[in-house]
Amino acid sequence: MTHAFVSQVSTPFIPRSTTTTESNKTGSWRFLQPRYDEKTAPCSAACPAGEDIARVEMLVAQGLFKEAWETILQENPFPGVCGRVCFHPCESVCNRGAFDEPIAIHTLERFVADTAMRYGLQPQRMALPPKSERCAVVGAGPSGLAAAYFLARLGYGCDVFEARSEPGGLLRWGIPPYRLPVPVLQWELEHLQALGVNIRCNHKITGGFLHGLKDRYAAVFLGCGHYKSPALGIAGEDLSGVEEGLPFLERVRSGDLPSLSGTVAVIGGGNTAVDVSRCALRLGAKVLMVYRRRRQDMPAFGHEIQMAVDEGVELMELWAPLSIEAHPDGFRLSLQKMEVVSEEGGRARVKPVPGETTAIVVQKIFKALGNTAEEPWLEPPGEIAPHILHLADTVVSRREDGLVVVYGGDLAARSKSVAHAIGSGKEAAMALDLYFRRGWDAIVEETARCRVGPGPSLSMEIYTGGDRCRRNPHVVAFEEINTDYFLYGPRIIQPRLLVEERLQGFSEIDLKVSAALAIREAERCFNCGVCNQCDNCRLYCPDVAVCRDTSPQGRHINLDYCKGCGVCVVECPRNAMSLVENETGGRP
Amino acid sequence: MELSVQDREYMCSGHVGCPGCGAAIAMRFVLKALGEKTMMIVPACCWSIIAGPYPQSTLKVPVLHTAFETGGAVASGVRAALDIKGDRETTVVTWAGDGGTFDIGFQALSGAVERNEDFIYVCYDNEAYMNTGVQRSSSTPYGAWTTTTPGQEWKKLRKKNIVEALVAHRIPYAATASIAFPEDLVRKVKKAKAVKGSRFLHIYASCPTGWRMPSELAVKIARMAVQTNIFPLYEVENGVRYTINYMPKGYLVREYFKLQGRFKHLSEADLEQIQQMVNEDWELLLRKAGVSPGAAGPVTKID
Ligand SMILES: Cc1cc2nc3c(=O)[nH]c(=O)nc-3n(C[C@H](O)[C@H](O)[C@H](O)COP(=O)(O)OP(=O)(O)OC[C@H]3O[C@@H](n4cnc5c(N)ncnc54)[C@H](O)[C@@H]3O)c2cc1C
Ligand SMILES: Cc1ncc(C[n+]2csc(CCOP(=O)(O)OP(=O)(O)O)c2C)c(N)n1
Ligand code: SF4
Ligand code: SF4
Ligand SMILES: [Mg+2]
Repeated sequence: MTHAFVSQVSTPFIPRSTTTTESNKTGSWRFLQPRYDEKTAPCSAACPAGEDIARVEMLVAQGLFKEAWETILQENPFPGVCGRVCFHPCESVCNRGAFDEPIAIHTLERFVADTAMRYGLQPQRMALPPKSERCAVVGAGPSGLAAAYFLARLGYGCDVFEARSEPGGLLRWGIPPYRLPVPVLQWELEHLQALGVNIRCNHKITGGFLHGLKDRYAAVFLGCGHYKSPALGIAGEDLSGVEEGLPFLERVRSGDLPSLSGTVAVIGGGNTAVDVSRCALRLGAKVLMVYRRRRQDMPAFGHEIQMAVDEGVELMELWAPLSIEAHPDGFRLSLQKMEVVSEEGGRARVKPVPGETTAIVVQKIFKALGNTAEEPWLEPPGEIAPHILHLADTVVSRREDGLVVVYGGDLAARSKSVAHAIGSGKEAAMALDLYFRRGWDAIVEETARCRVGPGPSLSMEIYTGGDRCRRNPHVVAFEEINTDYFLYGPRIIQPRLLVEERLQGFSEIDLKVSAALAIREAERCFNCGVCNQCDNCRLYCPDVAVCRDTSPQGRHINLDYCKGCGVCVVECPRNAMSLVENETGGRP
Repeated sequence: MELSVQDREYMCSGHVGCPGCGAAIAMRFVLKALGEKTMMIVPACCWSIIAGPYPQSTLKVPVLHTAFETGGAVASGVRAALDIKGDRETTVVTWAGDGGTFDIGFQALSGAVERNEDFIYVCYDNEAYMNTGVQRSSSTPYGAWTTTTPGQEWKKLRKKNIVEALVAHRIPYAATASIAFPEDLVRKVKKAKAVKGSRFLHIYASCPTGWRMPSELAVKIARMAVQTNIFPLYEVENGVRYTINYMPKGYLVREYFKLQGRFKHLSEADLEQIQQMVNEDWELLLRKAGVSPGAAGPVTKID
């Protein structure tokens, strides 16, 4: 007889779960809370034009070249120019430099602009509704053109007056074509004109112009640059055949290419001296650059000096000119040996070495010293007064009749460079808009709010309330990058004409890079502080508390469940998140 | 750029793992790789609790909670039952802690793999009996504090090399994996799923609570364990074919130790000795993989 065991009550064979854990709101355990918190990349803070580089490189890495271009245009109307001639202070602070080599930011900037040019892209219209005030801009150099560009975008009508026959300032008449071909400048100028900026060339303004201005303009921006060359103060400098450097460059730029022979001496150590030397080489001369201090003290950009040396320019350091005499073979240039007395901020102070002089016989001499403002009325006022504001790259002065005069570009900027000129034009446009809309007293405080990180670079995107407003001004340090997520990789090598090819003419030296190489270079970028949608936060969350959504961030943190462990924050490769004190729920 | 790890979730929010629980991260990744047709056998361990109190379950696949020492045996039975039902599709997985694997469950595990039972055994290793309050196991590393190796009585015995013990059974597939290397982990789980017979995965799963470290470092510490050779990533096929998946960057073990409270009593001399032990183990592994020390050899670099 078999006995089957039968239970008195009906119990399940095995207890089975019927529900999920989602009714446990584990967010109540939390006392710290993760937050998407985009920060400032060091490169963008160092860019005098305040470009959003971390984002630009992210877009390039994704192949979104048009968007990358438009992102630059938010802050700089001249990426094609700057990608070529800017001395790229951004790269010297690039966090990637502490890892292997800095990102080739300028190469990518140029790539993006060239791509837009190749396809004839039109930027998205970015202008605000029209305003009643009209502005005058004197000088169509980068500062004046940038001022007009940003004013036009803010809705102001602008007339630009330019003395020369074509706009561009030193971009058109100074920097030689082997560094900046004219079509690049022209293409970028077309966009500016498409915004409604009216440029009147062959229209030289005189000091008297400022007087009768009030009826027509509410403000004037002076971006006339520095065109007065100081005298050397030595005998013989006015001999015929001893030329000024800048007008010589202007001749070259207008297509007049004199042929040179023998040895040419170029006196000076700035950008003009370097470009005059390199042009003279191309025109057939042997070139000696004579400078009273050392190579490292030269105001010219280091990489330009190196290119000049590579091409065969000979540097004579620590030699000051004493006198120039006519000589049957050209000129006899007497020189005084100098020595370093002390260093101030890395720059040498020098004095003559008694009794040590020499003389060289050369066929031509160019004087290329640092220029100053052409006329006294172009000098920004130096005084401190309530009606004068000394901003980072401009001086803003309000006249009694209410007209505001802004001095910018080389006339007033911290440094004489294209990017500083552009930054100065932007600063002017912001200051004027603030003056018209919010009053004089708002200018200092409100521009400060638009700084990129600690400044002084400014962001127009921040000013106009774009997404960049959310960016935390904290500048991401290398230690804050989670480098485990990055592989070592060499920086792109800029393809260039060989020295022999360069010397045959004025063709552009730096060649194009392919899209494939540009993307690879952009992928090296850490995108410091900027979310590139890598999704690590969502991937690693032990609590499945990071959820995708359709917001621009692409995801959010579900605070019902987030326990505040902080894993997502640490695993963010680029410091685009922060762990902060609890906002909602959780323990006190 | 986004990693290629499946989007689908098989784990719910609201589980009761500690903040920063590495074992929870491990489960998320493993289920993403295995998919829905999976049956989990969970012997007593933290995961018995994390999965939720009855009648909750945090996993979207069936879970069978079983006794501490039975991971290998229960899986063998479940596999047999599925076979009888004609279900060859479902993957049977034992999900056990280090205590349940290295110590009390070892006999059942050894028996099952000796029979080459067709299942995957995953040991998520948090290097102690965490669920009952941080008691040492044979997986606890040399130098560690636990509640049963307190103060100056810190553990002075080496961690058992569990993968080598399984390799000695000549099973078709055995591998180590880490929560800090999701792509490698997912690849190994998928590879294991495709193999027939007994497969063993040893997954490093950090435990901020038991290791006395900040929860936000859970993944970072797991990565460092790999980078320092403390937990090398490798796989062994059929008990003989070794592949090392990650060649280290030469980080010192000291960096790993100093972030964790469980090692804070160690002196410089202790750390030096541990470095020697790690070097020795690494060289032994290189020899087994047929890689000469210093040479790159047949390795797939995954970072
Ligand atoms: C040879 C050379 C090479 C350089 N290379 C580089 C470089 O590689 N990278 C870099 O960043 N910077 C470089 N610089 C510096 C840079 O070019 C200048 O800092 C920048 O152009 C200044 O811009 P700006 O608008 O202030 O003046 P400018 O570019 O000088 O433009 C001023 C404009 O105002 C016009 N103007 C002047 N007076 C009047 C008037 N009364 N009425 C109407 N119009 C007037 C001029 O004709 C000119 O078009 C270089 C400078 C030189 C000289
Ligand atoms: C036979 C038996 N002994 C003791 C226990 C108590 N117990 C439950 S979980 C656990 C520790 C498990 O440690 P481990 O396997 O390492 O998993 P962890 O909790 O660390 O995740 C112990 C001792 C038990 N459930 N059964
Ligand atoms: S890594 Fe990229 S974002 Fe960071 S500083 Fe360099 S260029 Fe800028
Ligand atoms: S990883 Fe998840 S639980 Fe941890 S802080 Fe981030 S969102 Fe919260
Ligand atoms: Mg354990």
